[in-house]
Order: sequence, then structure tokens, then C-alpha cells
Amino acid sequence: MTTIADVERFIVREVRLLDERRFEDWMALFDDDGYYWAPAALDQKDPHDHVSLFFDDKKIMATRIERLRHPRIHIQTPPSRTVHLVGNVEIEEVDAERGECLAGCAFIMLEYRPGHDQRTFGGRYQYRLRRRGESFAIAWKRANLINCDGTFPALAVPF
Amino acid sequence: MDGRELNALVQDDRMHRRAFLDPAVFDAEMERVFGRLWIYVGHDSQVARPGDFLTTAIARQPVVLCRHRDGSVRVLFNRCGHRGALVVAEESGNAERFRCGYHGWTYHTDGTLAGLPLSDGYGPQVDLADPALGMLPVPQVATYKGFVFASLAPTSPSLEDFLGGVKTSIDEIVDRAPDGAVEIKGGCHRYVVHANWKFQIENLCDMYHPAFSHESTLRADGRQFERREGDAGAPVRGNDGRSLSFWDQTGMTAYTQGHSVQGPMPRAGEPDTEVYRRYRAALARRHGAANVDRVLTLTRHNTMIFPSVAIQSLNLHVRTITPVAVDKTEIRVYPLHLRGAPEEMSRELIRYLNLTHAAASFIQTDDVEMFERQQQGLRTQANDWVRYARGLGQERPDNEGGYRGAGTNELGMRAQHRAWLECMTAA
Repeated sequence: MTTIADVERFIVREVRLLDERRFEDWMALFDDDGYYWAPAALDQKDPHDHVSLFFDDKKIMATRIERLRHPRIHIQTPPSRTVHLVGNVEIEEVDAERGECLAGCAFIMLEYRPGHDQRTFGGRYQYRLRRRGESFAIAWKRANLINCDGTFPALAVPF
Repeated sequence: MDGRELNALVQDDRMHRRAFLDPAVFDAEMERVFGRLWIYVGHDSQVARPGDFLTTAIARQPVVLCRHRDGSVRVLFNRCGHRGALVVAEESGNAERFRCGYHGWTYHTDGTLAGLPLSDGYGPQVDLADPALGMLPVPQVATYKGFVFASLAPTSPSLEDFLGGVKTSIDEIVDRAPDGAVEIKGGCHRYVVHANWKFQIENLCDMYHPAFSHESTLRADGRQFERREGDAGAPVRGNDGRSLSFWDQTGMTAYTQGHSVQGPMPRAGEPDTEVYRRYRAALARRHGAANVDRVLTLTRHNTMIFPSVAIQSLNLHVRTITPVAVDKTEIRVYPLHLRGAPEEMSRELIRYLNLTHAAASFIQTDDVEMFERQQQGLRTQANDWVRYARGLGQERPDNEGGYRGAGTNELGMRAQHRAWLECMTAA
């Protein structure tokens, strides 16, 4: 039995790993075939027929994180500080047989880099979560920004 | 700004910082560079059917690119002939007529006035057939193999003369399409740079920067992440993780119109996959089997068509450079599809373009950071000059009207600055 409290606890921890820049631990939450996706179109159906802000399978995620750890990543010199706020958590669908659920929530992310204006991003997350004992593995996480089809400043860290 | 003032901003190997900082220079650029040259407005595949439209800007002026019912491509100023409101507020769509939201005046897709409410309220002294009451067409529109350009100047050289040596870049890409045409689909990456537009166009003919600006994308062996399926990753530094000499071997060509062409990036041929074999077979039907290797041999990487658009031949895309203010520029990157090529190639292109050109990409982000640091650094009064002396005097004319130099030669930027000065000081 998966409760909203279980899902919320998991998501709160997931975004806190991003805020603490524990990117490797964050990546470890994804299943081997998992991916992270931030579409660049509203209601985008397919990450392969339209461009995306992020579309990272674990291999690309690893490359991204390696770069985030590089001492000469100019766009993170100085690094971003972020805080994520999540709420309105819902379980949209449960597939008890496969031990999976589809969950969603609203999010706001504030991002600050010294010397730059503070930025605000927001939208809805969706997750496909797979039961792993007391916790979950992420089959996919999708960040649907309300301005996903807008013009962005350079982005370095995941939403 | 008078000619003497402007001439003082450019020397053979340098540009004055004022050219990047002064709003008065920017206003003059909008009038004399973006207001006079052929500016890329879109690709005809984006307005494929009659009534299709998209909105964009030339020299900060809002325009609509649309397909008229006679099949022709039109570029109209996006302004109501009545009280001046923007008529088309959507970014793209399809419309039989354009309707101004303010008083309901409607326009055909050639810009002529189709109708207005309560027209009997206009007396005989008002000529409702006056073309000036329409959405006025931009003075010149021309298309080269689907790429639509417009000019706000009523007289200018033909588009083909303007493109000159860079027509070859478009020709070669179109030849790689089994159906003989390219198209834009799959949206675009959009990012904003809080820096002058010239920093972006200079970067498109700069092979000196990758190993440093993009150092965070390099592995210990000097290679970059893979940009295509099965690719080993392009070498950005040599096998020893240090040497950079191959960047010079790629070569750089510049043209008097201000355009430039980077030589092809070093890489290991095309993948031997089922998809790619199907693509070669389709190309063989078009060009003959004996010509396929030639058609697939890249002779260039980025082509910068001064001042508004760049086209990349490797991971095919079109990049538009839209100046918004002296210190603000909007960039869009559109994947370019080869008609008749396997769909899988388009899907792969879109996937890998996310890595190089999204607002969150591994590549553009470090470039954007550098352009913004240039904008900040140039506030210092200690040194008025930005330098472009690399390879000065080493370029040699080629036999296609261009000048060729080593890959890290800054000749492309010098050509941009000469073309810029010529526009800015022209009568």
C-alpha cells in the first residue's frame, strides 16, 4: 500500500539532494533505465520529436554530473544555490501488480548565484515510481515548467 | 553618429568597447546593419500551408512571415494600418485572415485590408483602398532553397549576391536530403544572453575557444562527450590531453559580406548502422551510388551568415541571433531535418541537440557565461580595445571569393567588423 505520505517523503528527500548538490546520490534514485525530462513544449508527448530543456538517461545524467563537478565549469563559477519547495502531492495512478505508481506535485525552485539576480522556476513534477522495499526507484521524473516554451537564461542544475 | 565617430570604433585588429556598450551604437546598428542587410526570417517549411504564419522581428520591428493563398511567402510588418497595434499576437498558427483585436480590422495574408467594421462611418475624403491602411509588406523578401530572408531596405544586392560563397553551405546540406529539401520541425531551443549580439556571432567563427570555454565537457583524454550515436566523442584536445594543433588544420574562411565558414570538425566517419545504410541507399537513388561519399563528406562546421543566422552542417540546425538591446540578445536553435532521410536520424538529432544547444546544454551554457563576462569586463575604462589580431596578415584568398586562414585565425571576426563598419558608414 503506497500512501501520499510515502510519496511525499520520497520527493522531499529527492529535491533536497539537489539543493545539497548531492548529484550522485540524486542520480542513484533513478532506476537503471530511468530518465529525467524537462520538456520544452506544453503537453509534449515524445522527447524525440521535439527539443527539450533536459532529457537525460542515466548515461547523460552521469556526463552532466561529471561536468557539474568539473573545476572549470564556467556557468557554475560560482555555483548555484537552490531551494525546492514541493506541495500538493497526489497519487494519480497505482499499478499494484507491477509495484508502480504515478505521482504528481507542484514545485517552486529558487536559484541564486552570487553576482546574478535570483531566479524563480515553477511548475508540476510527475514521477513514475517503482516500489523498492520501504522506498522507491524513479522510472522517470518529468518537470513541466509553466514557461517551458519560453526563453531561458543558461541553466545548469536540474529542476 | 557620424562617420568619423564610427570609423574610430574599428581598426584592422580591434574593435572599440563602445561598439558593445553604447545604446546609441546599438540604435545605429538596428537602422544600418539589421535595417539594411538581408535578415533571415525563417524557413518556408515553417509556413508550409496557405495561411500558416509565424511572428518574429527584424531590427526590433515586429513582422509576420506567412504563406499567402497563392502559395507565395510574404513578410509583413506586424502593425495595424489603423491605430498601430500589433495585429498577430500568437507566435505561430494558421489564419485565413489576420484580425486586429482593437477595432476588428482584418487583413488578407498579403497584408491588404480585407474589411473593417462600420465602414460607412468613413466619408468620401477617406480612401479605404489606400495601401497604407494595410499591413505593409517588408520591402524585399527572397528565398534561397527554402531559407527566407527579408530586407528592410528597398534596394540592396540580390540575396544570392549577398550570400555569395556561403550558398555552398546551404547547397551541401540540401544535397544531403534524399528528397532534395530540408525542413524545420520539432520546435526550437531558446535562450537569452545578457550581452551584446556581436559576442555570439564572433563565437561562431572562433575555433580558439573550445578547449578552454568548454573544458568542463572534456574527459582526461581530451575528448568530448558523444554527439552522435556510437561516436567516440570529438577530440578537443589531442591524445595527450594537451595539444591543440588540429584546430588550426580545420581552417576558417571569411567573406567580404561578413560571413564566415569553419572547416569541418575532426571525427571518425559515419556510423555503420542499419538506419544509416538506409539513408545511404536513399541518397544513392538521388545522386547515384558513386556520389554518396562525396555528398556525405562535410566540408564545413558552422556557417555564420552575417549578421543574423548561423547554420551548422554536422548536427544540423539553424541558429538565429536576435538583438533585443545593446546588452540583451535572444538566440533560437532549430533542428533541421533532411527530407527523405530515415525518421530515426531526426529523432537522434533532436536528442543530441539537447546536449549541445538547449538552455541547459553542456556547451552553450559556458558560451553564454563568457559573453556575459565580456559585457561586464568591457566596463573597465583601462583598455578601450577588444583584440582580434590572431592570424592577422596570414589569410590568403581562395578561389571562391573568400579568404582562408588557420582554424584559430580570428579572420572571421575581422570580416564581420569590416562589413559592420561598411554598413554603419554607408550613405
